[in-house]
Amino acid sequence: MMLRTFSNLCAQSQACFRSARAKSTLSAVIDETGKSGLILKSVSTDIFENLALEDWIHDHVDLQNRSMLFLWSNAPAVVIGRHQNPWQECNLQVMRQKGIPLARRRSGGGTVFHDLGNVNLTFFTSKKNYDRHRNLQVVTSALKGLRPDMDVRATERFDILLNGQHKISGTAAKLGRTAAYHHCTLLCSADRALLSAVLKPTCQGIKSNATQSVPSPVKNLLDEDPTLDCDTIMDSVASQYNTEFGFSSPVTLVDPSDELSLPGIQRMARELLAWEWTFGRTPKFSICTTFELKNDTSICNATLNMDIKNGIIESCDIEVPSDWLPVELSREFSLHLIGGKLCPYQTSVIAAELLRTIPQNKELERKMYNLCRRVVFMM
Amino acid sequence: MAMRVAFRCLSANFSTVQISANRPLWKANTARTLSTASRLFTDKHEWVRVEGGVGTVGISNFAQEALGDVVYCGLPEVGQKLEQMEEFGALESVKAASELYSPLTGEVTEINTELADNPGLVNKSCYEGGWLIKMTIDNPAELDGLMDDGSYEKFIKSLDE
Repeated sequence: MMLRTFSNLCAQSQACFRSARAKSTLSAVIDETGKSGLILKSVSTDIFENLALEDWIHDHVDLQNRSMLFLWSNAPAVVIGRHQNPWQECNLQVMRQKGIPLARRRSGGGTVFHDLGNVNLTFFTSKKNYDRHRNLQVVTSALKGLRPDMDVRATERFDILLNGQHKISGTAAKLGRTAAYHHCTLLCSADRALLSAVLKPTCQGIKSNATQSVPSPVKNLLDEDPTLDCDTIMDSVASQYNTEFGFSSPVTLVDPSDELSLPGIQRMARELLAWEWTFGRTPKFSICTTFELKNDTSICNATLNMDIKNGIIESCDIEVPSDWLPVELSREFSLHLIGGKLCPYQTSVIAAELLRTIPQNKELERKMYNLCRRVVFMM
Repeated sequence: MAMRVAFRCLSANFSTVQISANRPLWKANTARTLSTASRLFTDKHEWVRVEGGVGTVGISNFAQEALGDVVYCGLPEVGQKLEQMEEFGALESVKAASELYSPLTGEVTEINTELADNPGLVNKSCYEGGWLIKMTIDNPAELDGLMDDGSYEKFIKSLDE
């Protein structure tokens, strides 16, 4: 598969920088090629840059008479669907410890783990030509092209199963004004231990109407056949895409941080990175849970009730038995949390300030510290 | 058929004028009574029905059929200002997350809270119980650019060709 850089593509199309003022450079270049099918591959492994590029293509490229395939993979990240609740879907503590970012995509669907052993495929079309079955057929045919006896099948839910049992691909999609995109993952050699660790939610007692993931057992294609690495698979899918749709497109490399060819893309990436989008767009939910508080001499059960909207704590009631901790202290803590983000960093700051106000009493301080730590841990 | 429709429109307007006269909810400086006889449609398959200066917005039957079962309605906040054609939310179905585009320029006054627990209302009753938002009409002239029932039917038919 011939790889070209974006500048090669530019050089080919003479009107490269004579772009129309209303259009941006990449879409102008694409128009100039006159091609109805294009394959792009990202040089970036940053989830936010790549998601921004998807949005950019969707918003700026004329997809009425054209289709595109976008190939990308990311450094470790957890990606939730547009209307999901991250507290309900993943282990935020482990993610923070390991520096794994949370991203919220604009398409629907469930939560997935990305790393460099996972290939992402985005099929851009007009709304009229939106056809997830056909796209997944490209993928299964590509895989069968590499290993004819491999049992890979798309299901009604648009998952791809290996040997009828293990999920190797999940699908999500977005329908816009006139265009659509369907993207799917493909597990080649992902870190399955890490995948299981991060996709195990730890926050208990959540009541929410957010869309929920359907957990499935997964497998890597590399487990099935050690020669099936990401690059081989990407090449094969690109080739099959051309065959299926009658295109003859080489794979063109694209840099999603290139603001000159993709005006506005850096702002789009920043929007996707912002807390207001990743956490703040969580549908309204409540947490109602009981937890244990221990110290050297005793144990008690505390309850926490919170209502959260746009990621902000709207109401909070932490109840601790009065013989364990003075009611004023737990009430004070509850009150201070209201109006703040459901965020462990912010809550730690509030907790630290509160702890400073406690009169010199080591035992009380320790108990209060335990309570605060427990609440922070939930976030 | 046209006569009957015209008569219906006339009588609907007449009754609406009466109601509006008792309801001091529209701005005193609007030149005409802001009400529409029935639904008006956009080419994005959304409808708006105006009563007393407030527009109720939803998606058409064509749209809800194309979407499939709605599992989540992502709606804006009350007070959010919208420009015509601006994306204001999305409906998630098994098919995809489908963006919603504001039919008019105005401010969101109400969202349909029933949809939080019962998103399927959008499929079951897209013109009544499955309404999405209510909004003010900041630019009444925008209504002139929308399609009535008949024009919208023709528009849908043309999409198949």
